[in-house]
Amino acid sequence: MTGTLIALISILVGIIAANGFGYTVKKYSFGIMGNTIVGVFGSVFLIKSFGRLGFDPWSIMNNEDFVGLRLVINIVVSALGGVVGLILAKLLYNKIN
Amino acid sequence: MEDMLFYDRLQFAFTITFHYIFPQLTMGLSLLIVFFKGKYLRNNIEKYNDAAKFFMKIFAINFTMGVVTGIPMEFQFGTNWAKFSELTGNVIGQTLAMEGMFSFFLESSFLALFIFGEKLMGQKLHFLTGFLVFLGSWASGWFILATNAWMQHPVGYEILDNGKFVLENFSALFSNPWLIPAFLHNQLASVVTSSFVVASIGAFYVLRNKQIEYGKLFLKTGVIFGLISSLLVAFPTGDWNAKNVAKYQPASFAAMEGIFETEEAGAEIVLIGQPNMVEKKLDNKIAVPNILSFLTYQEWDRQIPGMDHFKKEELPDNIPALYYSYHIMVGLGTIFIGVMFLSAFFLWRKKLYTLKPLLWTIMFLVPFPYIANLTGWYTAELGRQPYLVYGLLRTTEGISPTVSSGNTLFTLLGFVALYMLLGLLFLVLVGKTINEGPKHQTH
Repeated sequence: MTGTLIALISILVGIIAANGFGYTVKKYSFGIMGNTIVGVFGSVFLIKSFGRLGFDPWSIMNNEDFVGLRLVINIVVSALGGVVGLILAKLLYNKIN
Repeated sequence: MEDMLFYDRLQFAFTITFHYIFPQLTMGLSLLIVFFKGKYLRNNIEKYNDAAKFFMKIFAINFTMGVVTGIPMEFQFGTNWAKFSELTGNVIGQTLAMEGMFSFFLESSFLALFIFGEKLMGQKLHFLTGFLVFLGSWASGWFILATNAWMQHPVGYEILDNGKFVLENFSALFSNPWLIPAFLHNQLASVVTSSFVVASIGAFYVLRNKQIEYGKLFLKTGVIFGLISSLLVAFPTGDWNAKNVAKYQPASFAAMEGIFETEEAGAEIVLIGQPNMVEKKLDNKIAVPNILSFLTYQEWDRQIPGMDHFKKEELPDNIPALYYSYHIMVGLGTIFIGVMFLSAFFLWRKKLYTLKPLLWTIMFLVPFPYIANLTGWYTAELGRQPYLVYGLLRTTEGISPTVSSGNTLFTLLGFVALYMLLGLLFLVLVGKTINEGPKHQTH
């Protein structure tokens, strides 16, 4: 059950990371709205693609036996998803415009 | 067990209610975006293109929130409702997977192309991407409704010895008599919500004396779409749905209409009244005789079975909630027709843009289509109780036996906190977009 909550927290981390990165490095920013959207999809994409290596919400809960290190990895990957998503989206945006 | 069932249902009700705030706007709004873009292609007036791009921004925020809040729904099938998923997964897994594979990917890919690719693709292809976003969002509604229609009126299945449902006839899922009326009713209701949103943003701009040209365009479009969709939601689609409930779920029909006793010479329609579950009657009721029989069967004196006709275990378990949900939905729907009819009249008389009381009314009515949509879904879901799959699988048989009520309550509180944060973020983003307004760009 707590796994479901972790999935949501993970997305929020992606949103915060994308907005934080966009705020710090202005040339990659799409504004709060764009950064938020990219943050959601970036973190979901990375966690859904690679989480099964051992840091998806179910593995973190490990049958009710919480593994903190996996949660840290999940959060880092999720934040990375937000940041990488923002860089890729900006590159794509510049390319097609 | 009772506690577990209560908290599982409460958590699902909370998360699905919050989730459905977003798709109900995106489905209807995509149609209006296609309309604006189509108008631009036809007459080459820039404000239509600006309007399409402005509403696509609002669409994108809602779509993203829909994705975030949709993820816990997917998880809950495995956590709180593991037994239900195990028993019916062979059937509902088909439509839910198709929703993800066909609709979601179509919608999200072409949404990005619509937002970023106008210069690259040119106007005709840009219109096409908008149309594909619309197609994706409506296809998403179709597959979700197909899943729900099967739960309301199961067809094309076989039950194995171990109690598992398997699909015997794939096409039956999509030719389910419950599906088409439910889909049309739901989609038109989402057009009502979007029309009110578009009209209310227009009213806001006109009242604030800002972005007047766009304000008038939004008001005119919102009112015309709003009037047509409000009428179609009531008739024929609402009527068609009610007839389906009377035919396939007669006990739910009696409960939602508040018929406690079977009346031999035709059933009355209740306009106002409060269910009294102790004395099994409606208090303070205002009713019109024989109308319900006529509306349902086109016969004034046709008998409609009341709740006394059914065994207790066949009746929905929360009759007052079902009754109020249904009556709130119908009452609000009637108000929408009235307000939109009045607005259309003043639009025709060229007085709408200066009629401040009506503009304020349109602006402040915005939450009510959302409430009407949600209470419509409550009616469908409370009416199906005490079953998950009507007549075949009871709700008590679908919950996960190993997930404790404390566990569910803890995560529910977590959801409440996180959704409050998300809700605030959503309001800030939408408020900022509306405040900035459409941006005029020449090509």
